[in-house]
Amino acid sequence: MNWHRIHALALRHLYPLKRDFDLLSDMIYWPLVDTIVWGVTSQWITDASGIASAATGILLGLVLWNVIWRSQAEVARNLLDEIQNNNLVNLFSTALTVKEWLVSVVFLSVIKTSITMAILLPAMYLLYKINVLQQGLWLAVFFLGATVTGWWVGFLSAGVVLRHGLRMQTVVWTFPGMLLPFSAVFFPLDRLPAFLQPISRVIPTTYIFETMRAIVAGLPVDYSLLAYSFGLNFLFLTLAIWYFIRSFAYSKKLGLGRFNT
Amino acid sequence: MQPILQTTNLRKVYPPEKKGGTEFVAVDGISFELEPGQILGLLGPNGAGKSTTISMLLGVLTPTSGEISYFGKSFEANRSEILNQVGFASTYISMPWRLTVWENLRIYALLFDIEYTEFAKRAEKFLTKFGVWDQRYKMMNQLSAGQVTRIMLAKAFIPHPKVALLDEPTASLDPDIAHEVRRFVREQREQYGTSILYTSHNMDEVADLCDSVLFLRKGKIVAHDTPENLAGSISKAKVRLQVVDGLKRIERFAREQSLPATIIEREVILEIDEQKVAEFLMQLADEDIHYSQISIDKPTLEDYFLSMSI
Repeated sequence: MNWHRIHALALRHLYPLKRDFDLLSDMIYWPLVDTIVWGVTSQWITDASGIASAATGILLGLVLWNVIWRSQAEVARNLLDEIQNNNLVNLFSTALTVKEWLVSVVFLSVIKTSITMAILLPAMYLLYKINVLQQGLWLAVFFLGATVTGWWVGFLSAGVVLRHGLRMQTVVWTFPGMLLPFSAVFFPLDRLPAFLQPISRVIPTTYIFETMRAIVAGLPVDYSLLAYSFGLNFLFLTLAIWYFIRSFAYSKKLGLGRFNT
Repeated sequence: MQPILQTTNLRKVYPPEKKGGTEFVAVDGISFELEPGQILGLLGPNGAGKSTTISMLLGVLTPTSGEISYFGKSFEANRSEILNQVGFASTYISMPWRLTVWENLRIYALLFDIEYTEFAKRAEKFLTKFGVWDQRYKMMNQLSAGQVTRIMLAKAFIPHPKVALLDEPTASLDPDIAHEVRRFVREQREQYGTSILYTSHNMDEVADLCDSVLFLRKGKIVAHDTPENLAGSISKAKVRLQVVDGLKRIERFAREQSLPATIIEREVILEIDEQKVAEFLMQLADEDIHYSQISIDKPTLEDYFLSMSI
């Protein structure tokens, strides 16, 4: 593992932040719009339902969903960015290894997610007097679970693009969206139609959001489900990395140059 | 002397694109060596396997079979160590558009473990030499194709590589800049002993620059020699005459002798075996054919290329 090369890749994706409004809007503008819309909606739901924890639960759900979204986006969209810039051959005709690329995108996902959070969390406090940092160490647990989910979703969709080409790039946007209704992000699992609940039970994020709601509502936490969630998450991450590495090797059999436009 | 780069029975077969289709043999068991300090030209018509070969030498395309070794070491087993000493530039590859020239080069220098101060020194030297120093804070998408090509060359040579793989590096350059690039490539070889594998469609450039040329056709090496010897293997010279009197006679004479001839107004171009040019000129005198100008073009590498590309 060569840290100069990881540093190089980090610069590759941090330099454009100085001037690229597309990237800034993804990192800051849309999360802020979500916060305003969902903040008002959740307060209305709280007033209408009389459930005091509803607003905090929904906004914390939004925060964690943003963590998942940003983590996966950094992994999969970095690959797309290299492909669209005809830069894949440039990078991998140097000493750069796939492992170093993996480490760099994971590192970038942490940095960019942190930037988004540094905007979102104060905005929530200023607009709605909701301080998600009050969840203390639990917040770190939820962030870890959400980040790992974002990584495996990102590696899986990046692997699909490497294997099947740019015609499959839509998975980068649609795959995380597929998880959203099944992850009990904004509503409890038992509100999902019964025939869909088995799907939710094999998705690790379901238990993260269920635990988050229990904590916010002051209910007891089922630690075994949380452990199950982390077990699933790390299993999926391992499988997704394995799939990505296999897809990279497959792609090299056809030539990384085939992506050049 | 140990070769810098060696391929042995290198082969690349692409699987069929559709079920029931046929596989495509892009490179068919080629073996060659690049000697220390040598500039080796890789020539061939489109689809001959040049780019496929370079992709395999860069590790961005996995060979179906065969061996590649650099500095006597297996490329497969020592990929990172080897690629740290290999520079690459191609007209067909760009760099991230939303980064400036300086940012892009800085990133590539880091990929080669070059510290900032050393990078800045080398980048200034190369960008100045290529006439693009003033462009260093411009985004890549603000540059012309020729400027991008020069930046790519700077990228390839900033690490002072032991080997440079250059895929048509002068394709989009004006003649004066292309000349500067050729001089630069020679300098790199002389100063740093860089060994260079060079592809180009400009035959004069290859003849001028390369010590030796590999000619590929349909994935196989069909010739490997110096540019002079390859050109010399074509025995036909082109004789151009500006005919004053006897145009009909020379046309008949060429037909009778089965000499390929092109006639444009009063200019006649004939392809004649080099050994028989003197005899031909005497026959023209016998036929009472008068001409005001004559030029005899010796066979060139381009003639060889054209003859082999058919």
